[in-house]
Parts: sequence; C-alpha cells; structure tokens
Amino acid sequence: MALDPQAFAAYAAHKLPDATDIEVAAVARIHGGASRETYRLRLSYSRGDERVDRPLIVRKDPPASLIDTDREVEFAAYRAFRRTRVPVPEALWLEKDAKWLGSAFFVMQEIEGFEASPQRVTEPPYSEHAAKLGEHKWTVLGEIAQADPFALGLDRALEPVDPAVCWRRELDYWAAKLERDAGSPQPIMQAVIRRLRRSPPLPPERLGVVHGDYRTGNFLYDREGAIHAILDWEMAHLGDPLEDLAWSLNRVFHWAHDERAGGLLPRAEAIAIWERSAGRRADPEALLWWELLNTVKGQAIWLAAGKEFIAGVNRDPVLALPGLIMANSQDRAALDLLGKLA
Amino acid sequence: MNLDLLEMLASGAHGMIDSGLLGPLEGYQEASARAFGLTLLVLGEQLDRAAATLSDENAALRELFGRAAPRVGGALAGRLERAAAGSDPALGIRDLEAGNTALRALLIELHVRVEDAGGELGDLEDAIWSELARSTERRRVSVAPF
Repeated sequence: MALDPQAFAAYAAHKLPDATDIEVAAVARIHGGASRETYRLRLSYSRGDERVDRPLIVRKDPPASLIDTDREVEFAAYRAFRRTRVPVPEALWLEKDAKWLGSAFFVMQEIEGFEASPQRVTEPPYSEHAAKLGEHKWTVLGEIAQADPFALGLDRALEPVDPAVCWRRELDYWAAKLERDAGSPQPIMQAVIRRLRRSPPLPPERLGVVHGDYRTGNFLYDREGAIHAILDWEMAHLGDPLEDLAWSLNRVFHWAHDERAGGLLPRAEAIAIWERSAGRRADPEALLWWELLNTVKGQAIWLAAGKEFIAGVNRDPVLALPGLIMANSQDRAALDLLGKLA
Repeated sequence: MNLDLLEMLASGAHGMIDSGLLGPLEGYQEASARAFGLTLLVLGEQLDRAAATLSDENAALRELFGRAAPRVGGALAGRLERAAAGSDPALGIRDLEAGNTALRALLIELHVRVEDAGGELGDLEDAIWSELARSTERRRVSVAPF
C-alpha cells in the first residue's frame, strides 16, 4: 500500500485551511520501519506572501507489524521530549481517521542529511567516531532515564504502573507474546522466563520513561559522532529505565561483530556513561534481570516477524530477516548472560 | 551432471544483493531487494545443514531422555522412555522438524521437573544446558552479529 500524494495534499489542505497552492512531491518509502510504513515527502504551500517548503515523515499503520504498538504513544513521546534536551523531530499531526490515507498515521518533521543505518556505524567515515557516538548515545539515554514522566505529562499517554511490579508487567506481556507467536517450543526462553519469575529485580527508586527500542539504528547520526534525533518511540512506556540500558547492551545488536555494544563501545564504558548521565547506579543484579527480560522480548519480536512473513500478511523483507538471523543470536545471548554458552 | 542447488540459490541471492537481477533500483526498492537477497543467502545456509542439524539434535535429545527417564519417575518417566525409543521416520526437513518440535516440548517439561527437584538432579540440569548450548551452535547463522 503506497502513499498517494494527492490524498496527502487533501489532508494537508484540511489541516492548513489558510494554505493555498499545496503541492506534495518526492514521496518515497523508507526501508525499515518494522511497526509502521514510513514515507518521506516534501510538502509546499503558500500562506499569504510566504512560500513554505517542509520535508516531512509520514508514519502509517501497516497491515501487520513486528510489534503491536499505539501510534498515540509514539506521537505523545515525540511531543513530550521535544521540550527536553533529548533530540527528537517535531511531531505535527496525529490522524486516526482512515479515510485520508487508508489507515491511521502521524506526521512529523524530517531531519535531513543524517544516517540511521546500524551497519554504517561500523564503516568509514562513521566508524572513526564510534567511541564519540557511543558517548553521545548513552548520555542521551541517561537523559531519558532522568526525565520525569509526570512533569512531561506522559503519564496521560503511557499506562501507569506501580514501580514495585513494573517488572511483572513487562515479563507477562513478552512471555505471553512469545507463547502466542513462537510457533515452536523455546526451551531456552522458557528457562529464562522461569528464572525471571523466581528472582524479581529490585524496583526502581522512581518510575521513568522507557523508550523501549533504544539501539543503534533508531537514531540519526552524523560523520563526526553526534546524534541529531532519537526515533522510533512506538514501544515507549513507563517503567524502570534500566530496561532501556539493558536493551541497548543486547548482544544481538553488536553490529561490529565484536565486544562493542551497539557496534560502538565496550559494555563497561557504556554503563559508566549512562550512570554519569542518569545520575544513578546500574545495580548489576537488576541490570542482569532486565538483560534477560530483553532476550525474551527480542525473541518474541523476531519470531513474530517470521510468523507474519510466512503467513503472507506482510511480505516486507524487514519481517523475514529477524526470524532468520536474530532468533539464534538471541538464544546465544541468553546463554551468554546465564554463563551457559558452549 | 547434477546442478548444485545451493550454489544456484546463493548465486541468485548475490544477484539480488547487488541489485543486478532486478535492474537499476534505488531507495526502498533497492534496500528491499538486498534484504530479500540476504534472506535467500541465509536460507541457503540453513537448508544446507537442516537435515543433519535436526537429525543430530533429535538423536541427542532421545539419548538425554533415555538417561533421565529412570531418575524422574511418574508419568513423565514413561513419556521420556517412549520418546527415547523413537526414531525419525523420514529425512525430509518437515518430518524431522515435526519430531524435533515434540522432543523440544518434552525437554521443557523435563527441565521444569529437574529444576523443581533442586540440586538432586543437578547433573541432569547440566546435561540439559549443555544440549541447549550445542543446539544453538548447530543452528548458528554466519552473518549474525552474535
């Protein structure tokens, strides 16, 4: 399902009643976007004597996605963090009525001229600044951990949870999703789930915002090692910020095929940067719990992707590869955390 | 002469990765063609060893169940004995996969029982983890980040 420029122009006219001579050009789908179809386009229009030209991103609900997410959550997160030091694009319009583009969608500013690919960080010229990029990556994550969801108004968009049991909500959700979508018995993940239930983590001192998919590949970066936007907030929720740190350390994201987390920095350095920025210590036992939880979460996502692809609901190749490539890595990552790897 | 089917699959996959098969592409189409090419490449790797992997794993699980049956007792012991006495009826990947699915489900039940027994069945728990580690190594994907 493509994005029709004329349909979007009609929508823009609806949102901008003072605008005239509205043009929509250069519509192109962006590869990736496991939970939404993502398009870039240029919207131009006249307002009085002024001619406005805006590069925009449209995130549109697909027929099937890797993860069941709420577009309102993602939109609210962009809006909230726009008022903080965490770099995010400006979120413009949220539209739930399918009459415009065939499904619900939201529109945000496109920040042009930067790279997002997780693989490119391992290649020149980006790889020359991998350590600096890593410093920035875990500093920003610490800033997200410091954010007060209540002061940002995010408690209205993100479902509240008692900090003492935020671990259980995540574990129940991902264990159920794995059970539903795995398609075959998962003895390693089932053993991990039993261990997680036997030994819950210490609760966070206070509830924080969890991005939910904070990894190399979900931010825009430049050639000098700076991050310009944190993207893909569709899995944002309230909980323990250690969950994000743990996800960022997941070995399936070791894009440089070495010991550097996210292809950028050794694990210990990444944790130290996060602790300085977040102003809190990452308790090793609690961090291990969240890292194991994230192996279950990852496996649930990778296997669900393969299931959707095989079922033919969505044959975008972005759904085919995770089940083929990441699932085995995720099992190995769990074994590694448990000290059981061969 | 027999054509090497896996080499043929790999050649087609590289063609897609290089976008040579589908003509000049750009943007989403180019990235999707590359992703499909990589999918075919990984599928080729997996198919090449799938029968051996599943056959080896099924044999290892039956051997493990044979050792575990006399130690665990109850109805589970009987099911473990029956599974241990089984064999793979055919070498088609779907046949082997069906057997593997049943054996892995039984492995989860055995693992739970062993954990519930505390340290009493510690050697069996070690054997289960060793087999799970070997299983992941059998299925390892060469292009994966880890």
